[in-house]
Amino acid sequence: MGEGDGAGFQPPQKQEQEQWMERALTMAKEALENGEVPVGCLMVYRNEILGQGRNEVNETKNATRHAEMVAIDQVLKWCHQKGRDRKEVFEHTVLYVTVEPCIMCAAALRLLNIPLVVYGCQNERFGGCGSVLNISQDDLLYTGTPFQCLGGYRAEEAVELLKTFYKAENPNAPKSKARKKH
Amino acid sequence: MSPPTWILKMVQPRGTESIGRTWCCEAVENMTWLLKEWIRLKSFAELQILSKILSNPVPIIVSNGLGQFFKGIMEPQCKKQKTRVLSTFTWEVTPVLSDEKLCEVELLEAFAAPIINKKQTSCLIKQLTCLYPLNNLPHIKRVRNCRDKSDHPLEIIICLLRDIPNREVSLNDLFPEAKADGLGEPFRVRIPAYQPLTRSQFEVASQHWPTTFRENKQVTDALQGHLFNTEEKTKMQTFMEKAIEAATVGKKMGMEPVGAVIVNPATDEVVAVGHDCRNGPNPLLHAVMVCIDLVAYSQGGGAFNHNKYHNCCFKAVESFPGEHAINIGKPLLPSNDDSLRENIVNGLPYICTGYDLYVSREPCVMCAMALVHSRIRRVFYATSFPDGALGTKYKIHTKKDLNHHYDVFKGLMEDECQFLLS
Ligand SMILES: [Zn+2]
Ligand SMILES: [Zn+2]
Repeated sequence: MGEGDGAGFQPPQKQEQEQWMERALTMAKEALENGEVPVGCLMVYRNEILGQGRNEVNETKNATRHAEMVAIDQVLKWCHQKGRDRKEVFEHTVLYVTVEPCIMCAAALRLLNIPLVVYGCQNERFGGCGSVLNISQDDLLYTGTPFQCLGGYRAEEAVELLKTFYKAENPNAPKSKARKKH
Repeated sequence: MSPPTWILKMVQPRGTESIGRTWCCEAVENMTWLLKEWIRLKSFAELQILSKILSNPVPIIVSNGLGQFFKGIMEPQCKKQKTRVLSTFTWEVTPVLSDEKLCEVELLEAFAAPIINKKQTSCLIKQLTCLYPLNNLPHIKRVRNCRDKSDHPLEIIICLLRDIPNREVSLNDLFPEAKADGLGEPFRVRIPAYQPLTRSQFEVASQHWPTTFRENKQVTDALQGHLFNTEEKTKMQTFMEKAIEAATVGKKMGMEPVGAVIVNPATDEVVAVGHDCRNGPNPLLHAVMVCIDLVAYSQGGGAFNHNKYHNCCFKAVESFPGEHAINIGKPLLPSNDDSLRENIVNGLPYICTGYDLYVSREPCVMCAMALVHSRIRRVFYATSFPDGALGTKYKIHTKKDLNHHYDVFKGLMEDECQFLLS
């Protein structure tokens, strides 16, 4: 694999993983309360949160502004401000997210050489880590490096949050106050 | 007085296809000082500029330096016509179809038998429909004509091999109770497992056993390269030239030489032009991602700052293609896609709904999926990419599980874009 295989990356201890996932789940719940897509997402570099995104599709009118992409931009910004080598940073950054990244985000994570993604429930509609395609592991020479996935952390809760959100999203369903902006 | 413009008349010799990466133009006779040497051309636009300088009709050859590719005459264009007319194009677009439209015809083993007594035919069909209904094979015609080759006029499918336990059987085994009047000795045949989707599949299938076939004219035309007329091709070339222009600027700034243009096909307006910016501060800003964000800007949104890149720009749109655009642009598949309706939110389309993308290189997985999320209508690209997600490694635009599908065509100005990458 040569350089870019995250040499020297040690996956965090299980207990540490659970702490960050707990936090991601809390973020997802907060998002739901604010009428946003209930996805919690954290990018953690050497025990420090460098990015925590939430879905910004509606505000930006850009359908690619998923939580992961927003968090990635925060990490990039951090690297820029601190004058850090972004390659080194991403190669030691773990993504904690309540829902399996979609195909687009999985490809983006590969392009940045992120070594590990810990996620909650599967993403049946768009999942890029096995559900629809397996971008995380496929043989793609020109699309960064494959990454490891640990799925299933409190998956039922994560699914339940999404279901609640999409029920409100459905125009045929009774309008929920939570969906209204402001 | 305005400079003379030219029509370039060229005939592509049959059977020629590939012309290397560099084109050259040479005058055969009446050589002017300009054309004494081979001149490297990047595009037809350059040839056009060249032609403006010439004042007499000049026979030309366009070649890749290895062999002759085009032969023709450049002659002054009639004064009334101001636009360039290209009667032939150096490129051909081919649709990138889903695997099931391209796959080989799958066959199933079956038993058939000759019908000795033609008068029994309808009775036999009734009997057999009861005994062996051929479920899930509605495209199979139960009876076929035998033209010249045999003593019997018709043959009939009895059952599939998988319908019976014992595979070496006689008529009596096949008809345990009823009488098989008027049938000859059964024999094995292979019949098409699915209804053909394309004409070539139909032709192969019919050689085995007659099937029904409702031709999708779009797909057939597309496979034969007849999908676009000269006017449409001229437009397509103009948009791709714009993408190439952007890519060239990006390349000079040290970026990957990839350019993209998003067009509203309802008005032929260019909504966004962008080049690859991945070697700048954000490694994810591939040309397609740049263009998607520029379209967002055109609708009052946007997430990135593109001010540093003057060739990444957008046009604020007043009219959206909306529902109108859903009906234009010839989808390759009949659209029973209800998701299109959902795309119109509060009377506004969902981001790229109804828009076309022209991009010089096949998009990667991230970009191809970003186009699904953005509900693009059609994508035209020039060259393939080894990890490409619209034909090479994946066909994300045809993936059944996803909630939006779009049409993809490749090969538009392939040689020019190949040159760009070299
Ligand atoms: Zn995503
Ligand atoms: Zn890309």
